[in-house]
Amino acid sequence: MSTLETSVTTSSRASAERRVEVKGLSKSFQLAKTTIEAVRDVSFDVRRGEFVALLGPSGSGKSTVLNMIASLIRSSGGEILIDGKRVVPGKATPDVGYVFQRDTLFPWRTVGDNIGYGLELSGVPASERKERIAECVAQAGLRGFENAYPSALSGGMRQRAALMRTLIVEPQILLMDEPFGALDTHTKIDMHEVLLRIWEREQQTVLFVTHDLGEALTLADRIILFSARPGRIKDMFEVDFVRPRDAVKVRETEHYAELFQHIWHSLGEEFVKGRSV
Amino acid sequence: MKRYSALGTVGWQVLICAVVLSVWQWGYDLRTRLPWLVPDLLDPYFISKPSMIFDNFLIQSCLISKLGAFNGDFGKCLARNENNLWAATAITLKNTFFGFVTGVVSGFVAGLILGRSDRLSAIFQPFITAVNSIPRIALAPIIVLAFGIGDMSKIVTSWIVVVFLVFFNTFEGARSIDEGFTNAARLLGASEWQITRTVVIPSTMAWVFASLTPAISFALIGVIVGEFIGAERGIGRLIIESEARGEASGMMVAVVVLMLVGVVLSAIIWRLQAYLLRWQRQRGAE
Ligand SMILES: Nc1ncnc2c1ncn2[C@@H]1O[C@H](COP(=O)(O)OP(=O)(O)OP(=O)(O)O)[C@@H](O)[C@H]1O
Ligand SMILES: [Mg+2]
Repeated sequence: MSTLETSVTTSSRASAERRVEVKGLSKSFQLAKTTIEAVRDVSFDVRRGEFVALLGPSGSGKSTVLNMIASLIRSSGGEILIDGKRVVPGKATPDVGYVFQRDTLFPWRTVGDNIGYGLELSGVPASERKERIAECVAQAGLRGFENAYPSALSGGMRQRAALMRTLIVEPQILLMDEPFGALDTHTKIDMHEVLLRIWEREQQTVLFVTHDLGEALTLADRIILFSARPGRIKDMFEVDFVRPRDAVKVRETEHYAELFQHIWHSLGEEFVKGRSV
Repeated sequence: MKRYSALGTVGWQVLICAVVLSVWQWGYDLRTRLPWLVPDLLDPYFISKPSMIFDNFLIQSCLISKLGAFNGDFGKCLARNENNLWAATAITLKNTFFGFVTGVVSGFVAGLILGRSDRLSAIFQPFITAVNSIPRIALAPIIVLAFGIGDMSKIVTSWIVVVFLVFFNTFEGARSIDEGFTNAARLLGASEWQITRTVVIPSTMAWVFASLTPAISFALIGVIVGEFIGAERGIGRLIIESEARGEASGMMVAVVVLMLVGVVLSAIIWRLQAYLLRWQRQRGAE
């Protein structure tokens, strides 16, 4: 698809094994009397341990695709396989963690109890839970807020807490929907560092939705570019910076600037279309 | 919002009490001089007077004897009347409590089950609407007929007025749960029961509590009406007896006791709500 796929040496870490397979996926919503075609014939694979970014304008069906992979909504056509097994709507696949675009922290639980929620469900004893919560709280830069309720946190702090609530149960497949959308640039890059270190350690398979090209380049092995509605795959780009990456230094390389410019052009077209739809 | 000093607020409250009580106490005395100003309703024959109510309270509660002296034989005084003020209050409170608790628990459980099941709520909807259209208090005579003049009929009357109130609020609450919360829980590995316990119940709590303050008054109303219709003991019975004797002070004592009981019960609910729903309030000081 893209000229840049000539750099065949894909990320060495990602094994060739397919972890997530999306085949001919489409989705239409019925709103009153009109039908909204959100996703049209989307196909892609994600290898084990691969970090894939989904990039596209608002309304291009990125969240819808993640929701279908998470088995939260039914597709209108096509199928999704995780480890070769078909995803059944309504039946959560174990091992899949989802960081939602919208704030879904439980307002009736403190930040610490929100983060520890998954451990509580699986009956991890309180003392161990406490330790692991403290670790996560520190990683997310939320120290001192363990006993606060989410209503007392800023939007960005809530996002970090929500991220930790998902990561603490160590899911092997991570769906992340603009998890850092509400952060300032500085905090965002801090969180990129945190996420990269966790990912290098845990080697999860990641599908990461974002509007931010810089973010996609910093984090991903591959960028899938969505077109304006109805969402289709417009292009794919390999991102072959060396691993492990430094979230700050990677931005300073020449190769980064090249890739940025190249993708920016493609992206620009879609964003203009996205606005006019 | 402008903030007023607490003292100013309390000052006004004391002033209002003083004015109302004074008019009640001495208003009718003005009738001889200003007949056009004072309505018939202020006649102590109907509404008694604060001082008379207080005296009557002391006598009914066996704190002083009929002669006005301190009552040395409290126990004997109580034993003379099975439905003395203390016993009547205790029995009314007890029945209110049972009616309230059974009503809240059954209304809550039914509301949760129906609120979480589209199928069940579709099946039961017409019945619920029909039964809800009956003014439940109108069933009190039938209930007394069916359950006798003992405690059971009061508890049932109280239950029937409470249960629907709590049911509807819980039902609405369970229907309006944010799907984002249940989805998040499910993806973190929660079973259906865990979702109910950790998501459905906490997020329905605010709705349930909104119904509890009216529910406690309703529970009290249910018991009193039951006692009006047929009872041997209870505050409702005291009111009926005083009315038969044409004794306004006696009725007023019972009414004041009911008011105090209602205030205390509501305060308990408030405290419980402030604790259980503390997450709704937490905001740092500005
Ligand atoms: N439940 C729904 N009912 C009706 N239409 C929906 C629903 N969910 C999504 N859509 C429509 O599907 C399209 C894609 O939505 P989606 O949320 O997937 O976009 P997105 O790419 O995630 O956008 P953004 O970047 O703004 O989050 C939108 O046009 C939206 O209106
Ligand atoms: Mg989205």
